[in-house]
Amino acid sequence: MSDISEQKPRTGEHGGASSKEPAALGMRIEDLSAFYGSFKALTDVSMDIRANKVTALIGPSGCGKSTFIRCLNRMHEIIPGALAKGCVKLGDQDIYAKYVDPVRIRRRIGMVFQKPNPFSKSIYENVAWGARINGYKGDMVELVERSLRRAALWDEVKDRLKESGLGLSGGQQQRLCIARTLAVEPEVILMDEPASALDPVSTQKIEDTMEELRQRYTVVIVTHNMQQAARISDYTGFFYIENMGDPGRLWEFDETSKMFSAPDRKETEDYVTGRFG
Amino acid sequence: MPRETFQQELDRLLGEVVDLGREVESCLGTMSEALETHDAEVAAGQIGVDAHYKERGAEIDEECMILQARQAPVARDLRLIYTVQAVTNSLVRVGTLCEHICQAIAETADAQRDPDLEAALLEMSRGARDLFRQGLEIFAARDIDRAHGLEADDDRVDLLYAEAMNLAVNPGKDGSGSPEWRVQAALTVHYLERIADHGVDIGERTVFLVTGERMESAMRQYRDRQLDQYDD
Repeated sequence: MSDISEQKPRTGEHGGASSKEPAALGMRIEDLSAFYGSFKALTDVSMDIRANKVTALIGPSGCGKSTFIRCLNRMHEIIPGALAKGCVKLGDQDIYAKYVDPVRIRRRIGMVFQKPNPFSKSIYENVAWGARINGYKGDMVELVERSLRRAALWDEVKDRLKESGLGLSGGQQQRLCIARTLAVEPEVILMDEPASALDPVSTQKIEDTMEELRQRYTVVIVTHNMQQAARISDYTGFFYIENMGDPGRLWEFDETSKMFSAPDRKETEDYVTGRFG
Repeated sequence: MPRETFQQELDRLLGEVVDLGREVESCLGTMSEALETHDAEVAAGQIGVDAHYKERGAEIDEECMILQARQAPVARDLRLIYTVQAVTNSLVRVGTLCEHICQAIAETADAQRDPDLEAALLEMSRGARDLFRQGLEIFAARDIDRAHGLEADDDRVDLLYAEAMNLAVNPGKDGSGSPEWRVQAALTVHYLERIADHGVDIGERTVFLVTGERMESAMRQYRDRQLDQYDD
C-alpha cells in the first residue's frame, strides 16, 4: 500500500466514485493548495464532488480539512495573509477567476459552522435576513416556512417565530443556522463539524436533516465522528499529514462504503479503525 | 496504541476460532481413520460432538455481536468479525457433517461393501480432509498465497465426487455391497464434498479478510500483477 507513487491520493474511478454510474458533478477541485502567510497548510488537492450527494472529509486534527472546506467558498481568504492556489469549479465556473465576486460565490455555496451562531433576532428574522439583503422579491413568509421545513425545524418553532433565535436549544440553533443558509437558496452546503457541539439526540436530528438536504443540495461535511461519516455520507475523503510540518494532503477518496470496509491505503485503514490519530 | 483492549479482544476471538477449527480437524481425522478401518467403536465415539461445536459456535457469534455493538468496527476490524462469523459457521457445519459420517460408519460397520466405491470414498475423504486443513492453516496464518491452489484441489475432489456417485447409482453385478451400505456411502460422498467446499470457503474468506477483495477479484489482480511484471 505504501508504494503509491508521487503522493497521489488513491481514488476510485471518476475521481472517487467507484460505482459504475457516478452522479453528476457538483464541484471539481484541481491542484488546490492553501497557505497561511508562508506556511503551506494544504497541497495539491484534486477531487470531484458529486451533486446531490454527501461528501464527508475526515482526518486527524491539523491535516487541512477545515482549511480545504473554507477554500471551497472563498472563506479561507478572509483570514489576513491566507491564500489559496489552484482551481475550484462550481459547474463550469472557476470560483477563483479574477472577475468572480466572492460574495456571490458564498451565496451559491453556503456554510454551516461548528458552533451555532444565530443572530440576536427573532427566529423568523434569522431565516429571512440573508434572503432580504440579497434582494429576495418572493413571498418571504413562504420562504421562511420552506427553509425551516427543509431544516426539519418548522414543527418545533412554527408557533414562536417571533421569539429570539438565541432561546432555542443548541441543536435547534444549529438547524436554524441551516435554515438560514437554505433561505438564500445555495447549490452547495458546506458544514464544518456541524454536530460536534451537540448532544446525541440533537446530532441525530442534524443527521436526519442531512438526509433531507441531499435530495436538493450538494453537501460537504467535515467531521471528526467517523461513525457519523459512515452513516450519512456517500463519499469520503481522508486527509493526512505524512510527516510533522508537511502540508496536509488528500490521502484517499472513494465511496464511503469502500472507505469503511476495505480502504486501499494502510494509513486510511489505521485511521478509521482508530489505530492512530 | 489506541484501542489496545479492542485489539486484545479480536486476538482472543481469533484464537477461539482457530481452537475450534483444530477440534473439528481432529474429529475429521478420527472420522477418516474409522472410515478406513470400519471401526464402529471409534466412529461412535464422535457421535454427540455436533452439539458441542454448535455451542462453541453460538458463543463466538455472541462475542462477535457484542464487539459490533460496543466497538462499531470498520475496515479490517469489520472484515475480521465478518470473516470470523462465516468461518465459525463453516467449522460448525463441518463438525456436523463429520458426525453424520461417523453415524453412518457405526451403523454399517459390518455391512457388505463395494470395493471400487469404497476406494473412491477413501480417496475423497483424504482430499476433503486435506482441503479443510489447508483452509484452516491459511486462516490461522493469514497465508493467502496458499489460497490460490485451493480451487484446483477442490476440482479433484469434485471429480472424485462424480466418479463415486456414478459408482453408487450404477452397481456392478458382483461385489456391489448391501443396499443399506450403498445408500450411506452415497450420503457420505455428498458430505465429504461439502466438507471440501467449506475448506475452500475458509481459505477464500481469508483472502477477503487480508485484502478486502473477493477471491475472484483477488485472483484477477494476482494474474494481472504477474503480467505487469513482464511489461516492465
